[in-house]
Amino acid sequence: MKKVRGMRVIEYLLTVLVIVTLNFALPRAMPGDPFLIMSETEEDVVVLTEEQREYYFELYGLDKPITEQYVSYLGDLLRGDLGLSIYYNEDVSTIILRRLPWTLFLVISTVILRTIIGSLLGTISAWCRGNFFDQFLFFNLITISEIPAFITGLLILFVFSAMLGLFPLSGAMSHFTTYESLWEQIVDILHHAFLPIITLTLARLGGIYLLARNSVITVIQKDYLVTARAKGLSKGRILLRHILRNAMLPIVTRTFLSLGSLVGGAILVENVFNYPGLGLLMQEAVNVHDYTLIQGIFLVVALFVLVANLMADLIYKHLDPRIESQEQTTS
Amino acid sequence: MKLKFKRLRKRLITLLVISLLVFSLFGCGTEEAMDEQDVDLIDEAEEQVEVVRLEGGSDDGYPTPYAHYSRGPGAYKMNLIFDGLLERDEDGLVLWLAEDYEVSDDGRQYLFTIRNEVKWQDGEAMTAEDVKFTFEYSSEHPMVRTRVEPDEVEVEVKGDNQVLFTASEPNASLLYNLGRVPIIPKHIWEDVENPEDYLEEEAVIGTGPYRLADYSQEHGTYRFEAFEDFWGPRQNVKAIEFIPVSEDIMAFEQREIDLTRIGTDLLPRFEKQEGVEVVQRPAFWGYRLRFNMQDNAQLEDKELRQAISYALDLEDMVERDARGAGVPGSAGILPPDHVMYNPEVKNYGQNLDKAEELLVDLGYDQVNEDGIRYNEDGEKLCFDLFVRDSTIRLAEIMNEQLSELGINLSIRSEERQTHDNRLHNNDYQLIIHGGGGWGGDPDYLRERFMTSTDDEEYVDTQSLGYENQELNQLLEEQRYEVDQERREEIIFEIQELLAEDVPQIALYYPAGYTAYRADKYDGWMFMFDHHSLTHPKLSYLTRE
Repeated sequence: MKKVRGMRVIEYLLTVLVIVTLNFALPRAMPGDPFLIMSETEEDVVVLTEEQREYYFELYGLDKPITEQYVSYLGDLLRGDLGLSIYYNEDVSTIILRRLPWTLFLVISTVILRTIIGSLLGTISAWCRGNFFDQFLFFNLITISEIPAFITGLLILFVFSAMLGLFPLSGAMSHFTTYESLWEQIVDILHHAFLPIITLTLARLGGIYLLARNSVITVIQKDYLVTARAKGLSKGRILLRHILRNAMLPIVTRTFLSLGSLVGGAILVENVFNYPGLGLLMQEAVNVHDYTLIQGIFLVVALFVLVANLMADLIYKHLDPRIESQEQTTS
Repeated sequence: MKLKFKRLRKRLITLLVISLLVFSLFGCGTEEAMDEQDVDLIDEAEEQVEVVRLEGGSDDGYPTPYAHYSRGPGAYKMNLIFDGLLERDEDGLVLWLAEDYEVSDDGRQYLFTIRNEVKWQDGEAMTAEDVKFTFEYSSEHPMVRTRVEPDEVEVEVKGDNQVLFTASEPNASLLYNLGRVPIIPKHIWEDVENPEDYLEEEAVIGTGPYRLADYSQEHGTYRFEAFEDFWGPRQNVKAIEFIPVSEDIMAFEQREIDLTRIGTDLLPRFEKQEGVEVVQRPAFWGYRLRFNMQDNAQLEDKELRQAISYALDLEDMVERDARGAGVPGSAGILPPDHVMYNPEVKNYGQNLDKAEELLVDLGYDQVNEDGIRYNEDGEKLCFDLFVRDSTIRLAEIMNEQLSELGINLSIRSEERQTHDNRLHNNDYQLIIHGGGGWGGDPDYLRERFMTSTDDEEYVDTQSLGYENQELNQLLEEQRYEVDQERREEIIFEIQELLAEDVPQIALYYPAGYTAYRADKYDGWMFMFDHHSLTHPKLSYLTRE
């Protein structure tokens, strides 16, 4: 068993190394350099002079041999130093840390909402399998989750903010105001986050719903349910203790595995709502060709996905003892 | 791939917004209520607008001359706080912190008289010493936007309130550059060693009409409030706020922001809307066709370049590529909105007969089965045209127009970085280069077309293989000519030479539309060399 764990650790470390190396190599494989700006689609850009370009080359160590750059890049990373942003003239890690909480807030709220609503609807659908209600849910949820999140977002934004005026059009909180109480501040932040979270939840609901539905359907057909029914247990008890508990396993794994793609979805949604998270930051970084910042964001997102995978691994083992015993028998 | 997706997404979003807006024409009950709310915002007794809200949401840096980010939005926010010796209005430079200036006959000395009653936003008096300090300090620590090179001028204080600048050589654009340097207070900055990292509250103390009242880096929000002891014209707007905006058109419709750029599609909707004014921005951005004449003997023939000019229908390009929101290129390069534009320059128009005549005279009198023209040596008129992926449509239109004449283009589209690298290395035959700054000091013509090989500094990379001694001489002359009228004459002549020689072709200058809520605030203006209503300081002040 220890051997298996060891293998796992090596697997993860290798993945990290590959990601870091790609992150290092890709921008450098592009023609030209980040400081060469000749054409622009926007107005008023300061084009650097040759001397300034040389200065930046030196500052970012781009004039050194590639192996030396790689070694110092790895060294910096180990110290948690993601480099200096070209455009913002500030540590990349500081900029990312300032924005990360907003994205995490969106993603975590969405995960919770989506898992609860998705599994609930999936269970109901499976319970009423084949009748109108099941078909209605099935069709609508699948359709909604096939629409890209930014279109759903824009529609929601238009209807609820622009037409009905129920929610703010953009941002994460009210500006130029002072809050009288912490409660008021929380309400304001939730008010601003509501539509982005709903958009993200809607866009990602289909997957969990389907999974829950299938999983419950499989469980319903199991022999131990016949036993449970025969024992005369109440419907609610059967549903909660016997069905949901057994059907939860794949849902939990899926929840963690999907964290990565949720961050991807959050990037689009943040742009629709101008929500100040990593996604918006990424768009800004791309706009101003800030390579160190783009690199930093990629790395953080990639590591986030890896950690989510690791958590899925661990939790699945914990929930389903069979996995552990299987590993034991193989080792 | 990512960029393509982004563009597609942007297009989809635009389409969606347009269709939603069309639907919304049929019912939106909130407008009346909004109107009432807005009326409250105008303080009638003083006729000052309480607050003007503009699109923000992306951080433009801390608005000091050292910490703002290099793009336009960062610079103009800083300019609300900091004043220069001169300011720009619709027609040119106007006196600002300087109440007067004199230029010596040899063009090397500039004597500025500084206003007496000017106060810093912390209550201290501003003096000629501050001006001297600013220039000395910034020659040691260059500001984000370097206006005056270190050692370009020497500064000394004369008497109580005069500052004398002595330049190492006469320079026509020096006045403009001297006038634009933001003056910083000596008592605050003299001990600051790393101005880029100086982000204290005192760092944003200037003499300008507005003070920074609130700034959030994370949310990209700024609030500027009128500075009560401002020396100059009264502020029309008490506060300017920059707020995050998800969809600018929607935010404008909802009165969250008071000004926005709009596409041609939305023009009819806003032009008719009561209380909304729509203006077309001056055309100070442009696409130009560049020739690499050094590596392509064919392109060295002036007549071939002229023939290409005759074959192009620039108005058609504006119509189809910019949907009418633009101005066809001038053969003299300077756009029609430029203060030194010469309206008399040769106008090529589209004239296929003339173009064909020129090509036949050059020897390209035969056409093969593919419709491509060639001469008796078998040299075909086939060229590679490089464009950025975002400019592909313009290239296709150009190809369509030139093919009528028997000129064949192979279009190669590339993403920005590859494209810019190609421009930098002159690795092309033909290339479409898009960029801004066309409204600026016409000395940029020297940077683009000066090709004298005597002096290394002027070996230009933009018009490789092109040389016209007369032009070189004029470009050199205008640089040192401080008599504005004489300089204008020279610039006019330069435009005529450029129009005749066609070393580059200005294709068109995009000029989009800006809509603003005139019922709330209508003091907006354009500076003579810039295309944004929100950037000029004078947009927020009382005008005579």
